[in-house]
Amino acid sequence: MLAVDLMGETIRALNGSMVAYEGQMQFKRQGMTGGEGLMGAVRRRVAGESVTLMEISGQGTVYLAHEATEVNLVPLQGDTLLVESESLLALDGQLRTGVQFTGLRGMSTGQGLATTKVEGHGTVAILSDGPAIALEVVQGQPLSVDPQAYVAHRGQLQQDFVTDVNWRTVLGQGSGESFQLRFTGHGLVYIQPAERGEGLGAEV
Amino acid sequence: MPGYSPINTKMLQVPIGPGQEVYSKRGAMLAYAGGVRFAPTATAGSGIAGTLGRAMAGESSPLMHVTGQGSVMLGHHGLHVEVVDLQGDTLYVEADRLLVYDASLQSGTMFLGEQGGLSGVIRGQMTGQGLFTTTLTGHGSCALLSHGGVVQLPVQPNRPVYVDPQAYVAHRGQIQNKLHTALGLRDLLGRGSGEGFQLELTGQGVVYVQASERKF
Repeated sequence: MLAVDLMGETIRALNGSMVAYEGQMQFKRQGMTGGEGLMGAVRRRVAGESVTLMEISGQGTVYLAHEATEVNLVPLQGDTLLVESESLLALDGQLRTGVQFTGLRGMSTGQGLATTKVEGHGTVAILSDGPAIALEVVQGQPLSVDPQAYVAHRGQLQQDFVTDVNWRTVLGQGSGESFQLRFTGHGLVYIQPAERGEGLGAEV
Repeated sequence: MPGYSPINTKMLQVPIGPGQEVYSKRGAMLAYAGGVRFAPTATAGSGIAGTLGRAMAGESSPLMHVTGQGSVMLGHHGLHVEVVDLQGDTLYVEADRLLVYDASLQSGTMFLGEQGGLSGVIRGQMTGQGLFTTTLTGHGSCALLSHGGVVQLPVQPNRPVYVDPQAYVAHRGQIQNKLHTALGLRDLLGRGSGEGFQLELTGQGVVYVQASERKF
């Protein structure tokens, strides 16, 4: 659960994620464009990376949570965080969001062709099923992660898709680890200790 | 009298002995040590009238009476367990969120209309909590179930707390609650922020809020 103290500022959060608040708060659903302009909205619609956010403003404390999943805070100082739209809980009002196309990997992982990009100065709260860990990627040491455990990444990273399909997989005797995301470059990758089967919080 | 001891966030160990009997949710036993007996109970210590009241209210959750000498481990559906100790005050909770409570506590059923009149009735209907809620009074312990753990938010005069009805678990103390609507034109058009209804809690006490909008 996340507690946010507001003194007249505005934050954006996942629609319906408020569980309690004290003080004076206004909740307003963001318009179609979500602060990304008309082109942004069209791109988002095309990409299927839709996320419904609401603006929260006022004086007091607001408590946010979603389906009992863990909340992780990521501070951004002018850099860019790429995160799955379904893992986004809240972000500071001055952060900008957009859509980033990721290519082939989304097709096979069922996460769509695009991912959400957050940039600027401020804090982002991301959701994970179980506590997330940040793995560092350095030059010359690529990191491979399970696409269903991947939550977000930041930094100068290139991602590509690794397949390890052989005749055993075709026969249905695979190890279940036939596809990985491989990150090369320099940055941080956030992963969760659960594999998104039917979406977040599918355990109960 | 040794109290309840959490084994982890989702399992609870309860000592059982003479004078230390509990009522627990039926089927929530995971393991036990020693001579512990489980008896299904319909009245759960609230008498025939109380039982009838509960049955009519639909505020009944099957319970069992745990007696004997030993200890019992309890858990339910992997939900988080929160122990609440009562010192003579009253806890208001939904029946199906109660995992276990001491037999020394008096349980009862309260009609929401008593607390908020007509608006209490409307609130129960709107939030899907029904028209009745369970009360526990006295000295002893009980344990609540929640999806994702609970936080305790203090409620003070002049400092009301607003809670999503689906995230509300229980409250204690002198608290009035009523339904607070923040509906705007956008909600009617189906473009609301998803936060159209809240429970407004005023008075003096503590409210327990879970980290999820899911009932179970």
